[in-house]
Amino acid sequence: MIEYDTDEQRMVLKFVYYGPALSGKTTNLLRLHDLLSKEGRGELMVLDTQDDRTIFFDLLPFFLVAPSGLKIKVKVYTVPGQVQHDATRKAVLQRADGVAFIADSRRSEAKNNAESFGNLERNLSIVGIDVDRLPLVIQYNKRDLPDITPEEEIRRVWGPTGFPVLLSSALKGWGVVETFRALAERAYDTLDRRYGFAGTHGLTRESFAERLVRRAG
Amino acid sequence: MPTDSEGRRRIVYCVGEERDLRDVLPGFEVAAMLAAAFRAGLRGVRVVDPDGKDLWGSGDDVPPPGERDPRRPILLEGEPAGAVVLPDGAARGETQDALLALLADTLTAMAHNNLKRMLTTETHTEVVNRSYEELLETNRSLSASEQRYRELAETLEIKVRERTEELSRAMARLVQQEKMASVGQLAAGVAHEINNPLAFVTSNLRTLKKYTERFLDMIARYHRVCEQGGVAQQDRDDLRKHRESLRVDAMAADTADLLQQTMEGTERVRKIVADLKGFSHVDEDGEAPADLNREIERTLSVMTHEIPAGAGITREFSPLPVVTCRPGAFNQLFLSLLRNAFQARQDELRVTIRTGLSGDRIRVVFADNGPGVPAGLRTRIFEPFFTTRDVGKGKGLGLAVAYDIVTSHGGTIDVEDTPGGGATFVLELPVQRGAHDPIR
Repeated sequence: MIEYDTDEQRMVLKFVYYGPALSGKTTNLLRLHDLLSKEGRGELMVLDTQDDRTIFFDLLPFFLVAPSGLKIKVKVYTVPGQVQHDATRKAVLQRADGVAFIADSRRSEAKNNAESFGNLERNLSIVGIDVDRLPLVIQYNKRDLPDITPEEEIRRVWGPTGFPVLLSSALKGWGVVETFRALAERAYDTLDRRYGFAGTHGLTRESFAERLVRRAG
Repeated sequence: MPTDSEGRRRIVYCVGEERDLRDVLPGFEVAAMLAAAFRAGLRGVRVVDPDGKDLWGSGDDVPPPGERDPRRPILLEGEPAGAVVLPDGAARGETQDALLALLADTLTAMAHNNLKRMLTTETHTEVVNRSYEELLETNRSLSASEQRYRELAETLEIKVRERTEELSRAMARLVQQEKMASVGQLAAGVAHEINNPLAFVTSNLRTLKKYTERFLDMIARYHRVCEQGGVAQQDRDDLRKHRESLRVDAMAADTADLLQQTMEGTERVRKIVADLKGFSHVDEDGEAPADLNREIERTLSVMTHEIPAGAGITREFSPLPVVTCRPGAFNQLFLSLLRNAFQARQDELRVTIRTGLSGDRIRVVFADNGPGVPAGLRTRIFEPFFTTRDVGKGKGLGLAVAYDIVTSHGGTIDVEDTPGGGATFVLELPVQRGAHDPIR
């Protein structure tokens, strides 16, 4: 959590889109920006890029107000996927409330996915986040491409971890909103336990997710 | 500096900290904008924070803005972070509304671009700083490992020597254990083989003594009858002559002694066999409670033939608590030390064996009046294969094995000078061995 000001009735959360280079993290945010209603979200901020690759991060903020009057801002970030930007990844990961791990479905990328997930675990430990408690969802992106890892294999590998696994094609625009919603729901469960979203703020899991994921009319 | 469980420095810089307009808009830039707006006709225009409090004004004297004054939000990360307000008293109209909207959009764009620049700069700085610190850290650990390797190279030779000695010791112990095991088996086998014939020899001797007594009794009676005229004169002379020529009287007198001595001999053989068996401890497997005084006696009794003629052995034994040890090993240890002492000199050898308690440790001292051990050799005599004896006379294993036995029982062994000349070996053993002491 970035900030929780009880006097101001304001809470700022952080979601992070993590994953190997060129797995489609920025594309996910671009699609969310296009697909979700202008109401309740800010503009996508894309920091400087190099050859169309993220070198800092991207930011897409969302806003909602709980029945109690608590103003909640959710800042959704991407990290740079390239190996050499590890320090930036750590700074972005710092105080995250939820992580969506965007994997590249192509068979050729299996090794990069695994290395990136290992890097995520290591960096979580460095910034002091318990990977077992962190709301985490997995997205297998680029399902529209040929020669991809079959779904059964993905389920077999990730099933035992208990993390929700979603399939998507960010480029075509499907599976993206579902991933964001799954992440919001996972994060809600953790935040509700800690801050009494339902009890104190009258904010149900359903309405938290609904307000974040309002489709553009 | 916070660190994680593996001692790595935690990141403190966090992307996403909230900012307000003052953080992202420099006062002089806003002032220039407001001045331009003022000139364009927005009299009294000002910038307020989300709570309506003044942030910047155009410098002219107007009342503070009210709730209902026309205003346009300035957005930061898509969220209203403040507003431009046109307070009461200013001219109002479509032109002013359009100008106000333009001003708000311009300030929003400025805020957005400044925020982007700040985020890039901060991230870049953090990355550079961290990379620099990581380089320093890498440099530190490289220096440390270089230092370690240098030290290692310097001490390598010493270490190799130490390890070699350890290996020699271990090998010697194995060789000796093997030897002791076969000697023990041999001793047990011999003892068993000797015991059987010894049993019937002893039994037969006892019977033979009884029969002999009866023979002698019978001969004495014949003699009496003969001398009292029971036979013819001629026969009597003949018997007397024969008796004298065979020296029967002397034989009769000697027989009892002969048999007695023979029986003592067999008794000694029996004792030696028993000691041999006890010494080899083939009946005992591993550790057993033992009285070290008795073990020393036992060792001495099997070494009788090794004690030089005329040597004096003094036992100054104090009662000792029973200790749990490998008695066979201790017999071997005492044997080594006693053998050294017995070989210390040929004539007028004096060996003193002293036992007693010193605190919670048993102290056993073997002192001889031989040539002693030169100070320069004292650390080396416990090394395997170190011997001062001629080739073939000593293997240099005795004291090494002794050292091993003592240390494996958690004890110590040292050599010092006997007052008046000679070597004194001092053993110290804990009565209660700690649970952590290994039993080898």
